[in-house]
Amino acid sequence: MKKTLALILTLVMALSFAAIAHAEPNTDISGYIEVGGWPSGDDGFKAAMDGFNEMYPNIEVELVFTDTTAHHQSLQTSLAAGSGAPDVAMVEGAYIAQYKNSLALCDLNQFGAQDYKDDFGPFKWNQAISDDGTRMVAIPWDLGPTLLYYRSDVFEEVGLPTDPDEVTELFSTWDGFLEAAEKVSIPGQRWFLPSAAYPYQWLFINRDYYDEDLNLVLEREGDIECLEACLKIRENGWDMNVDMWSTEAYAAYQAGTCVCVAAGSWFSGFLKTDIDPDGAGHWRAVALPAGMPATNWGGSFLVIPEQSENKEAAWAFLTYMLCTSEGQNAMFKAVDYFPAYEPAWTAAPELYEEGDPYFGGQAPNKLAAEIAGQVPAVYNTIMDTTAEGYIYSAFNAGAEAGETPEQIRERLGNDIETACAELKLQQIQVLKDAGVWDGE
Amino acid sequence: MTTLLIILFGYIVLLLVLSRLGTVGKKIALYSVLILVALIMLIPFYLMFVMSTLKTNEIYSFPPILTFGSNLATNWKNMNDSINLMRAFGNSCKVTFSYVILTLLFCSMGGYAFSIYDFPGKKQLFRILLATMMVPATAGMIPWFILMSKLGWVNDFKALIIPGCANAFGIFWMRQYCQNNVPRALMEAARIDGCSEWTIFFRVIAPILLPAYASLGIMNFVNQWNEFTQSLLILKKARFYTLPLLLRSMVSDRGNDYGAIMLASTCAVLPLLVIFLFASKYFMSGLTAGAVKGE
Amino acid sequence: MPKYEKKGFFATLYQYRVAYAYIAPFYILFLIFNLFPMISGFVLSFFRWDGLSDMHFVDVQNYVNLFKDPLFWKALYNTLFIGIIAHIPILLGGLILAYILNSNLVKGPNIFKTIYFMPMVTSAVAITIIFSNMFGYNYGLLNWFLSLFGEAPINWLGGDGSLIKVAVIVMFAWKWIGWNMVIYLAGMQGINNDIYEAAAIDGANHVDIVFKVMIPLLKPIILFTLIQSTIGMFNLFTEPFVLTGSSWTGGTNNGALTLMIYLLNKAPQGGTLYGYASAVAYVITIMIILISTVLNRVTEDREPKGAKR
Repeated sequence: MKKTLALILTLVMALSFAAIAHAEPNTDISGYIEVGGWPSGDDGFKAAMDGFNEMYPNIEVELVFTDTTAHHQSLQTSLAAGSGAPDVAMVEGAYIAQYKNSLALCDLNQFGAQDYKDDFGPFKWNQAISDDGTRMVAIPWDLGPTLLYYRSDVFEEVGLPTDPDEVTELFSTWDGFLEAAEKVSIPGQRWFLPSAAYPYQWLFINRDYYDEDLNLVLEREGDIECLEACLKIRENGWDMNVDMWSTEAYAAYQAGTCVCVAAGSWFSGFLKTDIDPDGAGHWRAVALPAGMPATNWGGSFLVIPEQSENKEAAWAFLTYMLCTSEGQNAMFKAVDYFPAYEPAWTAAPELYEEGDPYFGGQAPNKLAAEIAGQVPAVYNTIMDTTAEGYIYSAFNAGAEAGETPEQIRERLGNDIETACAELKLQQIQVLKDAGVWDGE
Repeated sequence: MTTLLIILFGYIVLLLVLSRLGTVGKKIALYSVLILVALIMLIPFYLMFVMSTLKTNEIYSFPPILTFGSNLATNWKNMNDSINLMRAFGNSCKVTFSYVILTLLFCSMGGYAFSIYDFPGKKQLFRILLATMMVPATAGMIPWFILMSKLGWVNDFKALIIPGCANAFGIFWMRQYCQNNVPRALMEAARIDGCSEWTIFFRVIAPILLPAYASLGIMNFVNQWNEFTQSLLILKKARFYTLPLLLRSMVSDRGNDYGAIMLASTCAVLPLLVIFLFASKYFMSGLTAGAVKGE
Repeated sequence: MPKYEKKGFFATLYQYRVAYAYIAPFYILFLIFNLFPMISGFVLSFFRWDGLSDMHFVDVQNYVNLFKDPLFWKALYNTLFIGIIAHIPILLGGLILAYILNSNLVKGPNIFKTIYFMPMVTSAVAITIIFSNMFGYNYGLLNWFLSLFGEAPINWLGGDGSLIKVAVIVMFAWKWIGWNMVIYLAGMQGINNDIYEAAAIDGANHVDIVFKVMIPLLKPIILFTLIQSTIGMFNLFTEPFVLTGSSWTGGTNNGALTLMIYLLNKAPQGGTLYGYASAVAYVITIMIILISTVLNRVTEDREPKGAKR
């Protein structure tokens, strides 16, 4: 009996030690690590760096940041070459499918990544697991619950409702959405959207273009109605007809000549720091219009390349930044990267629920949290980025040619299949190598 | 479109009429064409300079503002807050100067050897050299890039400097120059004085080649200074960006301050442009060197 | 050619060491950085490889898929279209301007030469940034100019994508016209004035002089510029790439998708299809060699008398 008791006691103690060990990691780790990514991730890390340095005084961190495209190309190259990669690298959501099977990245399960499984939603977590289910190469950083941002000052000027609840109500149908578009637009001077192609792109913004048998799935609920609305916006000249990321569009957001734009909730940070820093009170955010499903737009991951010589320090950095509420919330506060780490939401409720003065006292993050909870897990492939590039192009081309919504959808299907043909063969090869492909 | 076509047509008719009206008419016609083309050439530069003094929302206004604004200082400040222009300028200098110096050295050595020395296999080797000029570098582009990664030359200026620094065209061109301009008697005299072949090359030959160095140097300098495609492959990290890469990164990622972008473009373009204006004759003969051969 | 004593390989190498040392850099660098990549590129073009996982031998499938890819043909069409159309203003404009500047009626031709040549020393990226602004839809200078004549704005860089090519052609011509002009002018100044006078005495007018006297004499030079621009045309990347906002699709409907964008999009820039991209690179190379050889033949066959090449 005593023996059993002793055994139980030992077990309990061992378990509690394990729990403590998990909560209080080895803070004596030392060394130098290089962290690579794109802005404004660097601002986020800088905001959380004091906390990190306090916890790990002996780890020296250097941030090496460049633009998004260049960063991913550089990462790809250095992984292929076997040298030159940073110790911790950011990977954007659209690119994660290219990396999830890569043996050039550390399997984070060896450090106990699975301990954090319940702290993350399935949408992001599953994206980082290899196709054969054995490896996990990345930890999610942030979510991008898709929000529709609008200029409330312009809405007020033209007599539209400005309160987010009323705007949600107005935007609950395409008719309401188009009504607003008509009211705010002055052809040649003020426009409703950067491009009429975007509402259609919102349907696919989870980047789930292909199913698990690699069939292109373009038919979505309400897609034809959506395209009809898009075409109407284009016909009436209610959109600027430019890329939403172009300098021209940026200038128009700031000047109030382009009134609506949708993006992941990280766009709040873009607005505040880059696009319209002096525009406090101009902007509000609502969910996507006409009952579109809750979606996630981008958001990034952190990975540790196998070639890193200081993986322990890299993992310490990664877990502090992404798997603690202090780390995530410090970054969230600085750059509006919405934490994928769910405990952070409750650890500092004020960050999520209190009104944001920039948004005229509205709390877009509260809305983002609601949306984040509804995003389903999806299947991603290496074709996704290429496919996404064709929505804008196919819509513009179709609209120019006077096509019907069905024809535009068909055109998009052809465009994507053509452009992705070779990538698809590569994807099949990857799945075959992973032993999870049954087809030919 | 019709209005424009009518105007164009009218202009051509006017030119034809003018050219019948004796020397003065001809002169007016010729100068009007020259000045019109000159305007078309200058407008983009002028716009660039103007926009670097404007606020972003002034640049995006309709009708466009075509006169200098007052925002130069702010653009300058914003530009320096967001990018490191001097670093990129330094990088461009490093790459370009090392490349040009090595190119001149190796190409003049090679051209000189082919024109002056006799050695077994000379003909065949020269034929191979000419043949390589026909094959574009595109063929090996992908493995070239993999090779650079394996050498660890990604994010390293070496990748832009070393592979191309002894190029077939330069050697070919230097050979032509040496054949026409290097007096063999001078070499013989130097040999009798007991100079080694190296000394002869550097002390006796190199000064004779100065005009050729100037032309080839300018050609390589301009091309390397403005090189974009290869640099885009190799230099991925911001701290290695050359000027063209810096400009691209400003427009491609969250670029919203167009005034600052224009100012950066101006700063990137201006130094070479000013040098060009003072030495345009040398630039023109250097950059068209391939066409007018064998001087 | 002098006769060389037959000696061992190394003995020969030693005897002529100075000459070999002088030419060695080129051959060594060529072997490492050109020949080796070229051969491995050929091998690689028979594999499917993403740079990270295993390589898989796929026979000639990459080539077959390439020729079956409509985008490849579109890229080829765009490249040729841009190249050929842009050469009309470049050649004609270059000749006309050179002819005007060569005329003794014009004083101070150097100012004009300098101005026309300015684009050649300017970074293509900077130029493209300013041109993308001039071609802008809502605020562009060009649309403003059109609006002065009551025209509706034109979506140069968007629309159905066909006008992006026009923008690229304008930029391409704008850049190269001065270069061609300087070369033609140098050629014209090399022609003896007696020829013009003889022609003038025969009653030839300007058009006759240009087409019957001057162009035949300048033919070798014109063909040289053509070969140069052909190679330049196949390498066309910066202008369409930056003009379409760093888009790998080449804008709407792949309107400005050139061969070089197509290639780099497969690897190593846009994607990671290294084997496939190597096949693309080889096909482009063969096309360049074919075209330059044909152009070279034309020059050699019809070498006119009197002009020095």
